[in-house]
Amino acid sequence: MKPLRSAIPATLQASNIRKSFIAGGVTTPVLHDVNLAIRPGELTLISGPSGCGKSTLLAILSGLQRPEQGRVTALGHDLGKLDTHELEKFRLQHTGFIFQGFNLFPALNALQQVELPLSYLGLSAKDVTRRATQALEDVGLGPRMHLRPSELSGGEKQRVAIARAVAKEPELLFADEPTSALDAANGQIIIDILHKIARNRGTTVLCVSHDPRLINHSDRVLTIEDGRILADHASFSHAINIASKKEHVL
Amino acid sequence: MVALARQTLLYEWRRFLPAIIAVGFAGLLQLLQVGLVTGIFSSASVYITRSAADVWVGFPGTQSVNLGRTIDAGVEMRLRMDPDITRVEQFQWLDADWRGARDTGGVSVFVSGIETGPRGLMFQQLLSTPLRALLNEPGAVIVDRADLVTLGVNLGDVATINGRRVHVVGITGGLRALGGVNVLTALSTARLLDTAIVSDRTTYLVAKVRDPAQADAVAGRLEGATAFGSYAVWTAEQFAHRSQMYWIFDTGAGAGVLFMAAIVFLVGAVITSQTLVAAVAGSIREYATLNALGVGVNALRKVVMEQAFWVGAIGLLGSSILACGLFAIAWHFNVPVEISPAAVGACLLLSMILALVSGLAAIRTLRQADPASLLR
Repeated sequence: MKPLRSAIPATLQASNIRKSFIAGGVTTPVLHDVNLAIRPGELTLISGPSGCGKSTLLAILSGLQRPEQGRVTALGHDLGKLDTHELEKFRLQHTGFIFQGFNLFPALNALQQVELPLSYLGLSAKDVTRRATQALEDVGLGPRMHLRPSELSGGEKQRVAIARAVAKEPELLFADEPTSALDAANGQIIIDILHKIARNRGTTVLCVSHDPRLINHSDRVLTIEDGRILADHASFSHAINIASKKEHVL
Repeated sequence: MVALARQTLLYEWRRFLPAIIAVGFAGLLQLLQVGLVTGIFSSASVYITRSAADVWVGFPGTQSVNLGRTIDAGVEMRLRMDPDITRVEQFQWLDADWRGARDTGGVSVFVSGIETGPRGLMFQQLLSTPLRALLNEPGAVIVDRADLVTLGVNLGDVATINGRRVHVVGITGGLRALGGVNVLTALSTARLLDTAIVSDRTTYLVAKVRDPAQADAVAGRLEGATAFGSYAVWTAEQFAHRSQMYWIFDTGAGAGVLFMAAIVFLVGAVITSQTLVAAVAGSIREYATLNALGVGVNALRKVVMEQAFWVGAIGLLGSSILACGLFAIAWHFNVPVEISPAAVGACLLLSMILALVSGLAAIRTLRQADPASLLR
């Protein structure tokens, strides 16, 4: 039986994160003393209007940017204490990324896109192919894995990008507006895949989006505005899920 | 390992084409330039390279074959005294004025007076024994077929050198000279053509050594003696090199070659680096994504350098094929081109360095591959 939500230790923790940008001699604060803890096995959504600082928060939590103040702990590592090279190594071993643009190399077919980052993990060629194939099959692209990005639809490209991010079997998966370039049907497919990854693998999935469809399918929604977390609540679906589990326990 | 560099190069070949063409043409220009310059200037030493002599004896300090002054013919005795020398010949070299059968005006010719015996050392590679024997006839000359138009004669025609009648008894190839036309005659004819030649003096003495590998030792041994007047001794190889270097450097051609090489390198590097920079910039978001996924910057740099290497390799393959074709055409039309494997290697290496330096320039573009920039 799965332990209750509050009992699971957080895999990603931020305390007193502060970040500001300087443009034209003017300093604009983006994040004000943000504190949060994110647990594995959940699809956590950071939501808010444009320019509220949600992408910056994602960049800091994932170790792509350093905060001016505060501490980020991911899987027990204090990211602030890692140098650039160590951060790269940490990301290689533990994190996956999905971006709004699919960022696939035009020259490579779907299988090669997924194999590429895997090949830097020091696995055997056979293992690389096996894991890449599996990842593509998991996102429903098994029959299309030999096609190049130009031959794939937008939704399929994003699924390749997801397969590329999860083939490494990361404990942390970060997604930035993964559905905003997609139509309703494809957006739904992506949401379902992200959800499954969190549930089935126990991955910590942190997603930034203002897509309302995602809000309904997330386990937890953090609402940000003007660099502050305004609300932190379990989403509707999650509440139902938890409630049903509680009933089951009782 | 996914061959990202090669796959991208193949798939986006149009994007890389300017760089490949730039490297290819840089390589081709270097090869042709070196080929032409060495080809032209190697004709300065045609007397040495087409002959069978191992040791050359001439006026001290002579910088090039065509600058020879006379030495005492008695030195021949000194050479014959050396146990390792098997054959000694005189070689008369003189500058003369030619008037052809057709109206050609005056043509500056270089007359080579040589031994006409069956085993004659001079121009052994160009003259068969019967052809050489034809020179025994007084006033007989042999010319290069490529010079027939310049000289205004055909086989059997009569012409004058320094006002004296000569007739063309034979035609050969490979005699083209620098700054004039080579004409071969017997030693006796050469003496008739220039009254200034004193009978007991000669421009050069050439000798055959029993074991050609010993030529250095023999030359060193002969060099010191002064009993027969002053003279200098070189091995054939040394003297040929000396003559070529004189022409390459004293005419400024060498500086020209280096200057051209620098220009070609610079222009090639600018085009190649710009193309590679554009290619990297075109994939910057993909590179940034890889970096976000933990692929290190060094690994990404390696991809760019590998791309530069392949651009260089394909460019050089193209330039080698084109150069082979152009050299074949040049040989067909008797244009003097010549290139040593070492020079080919140097030209190709220079072009590969060009490609790699351009790759280094393109690496700097990777700094823009900041994964945080993808989160906006």
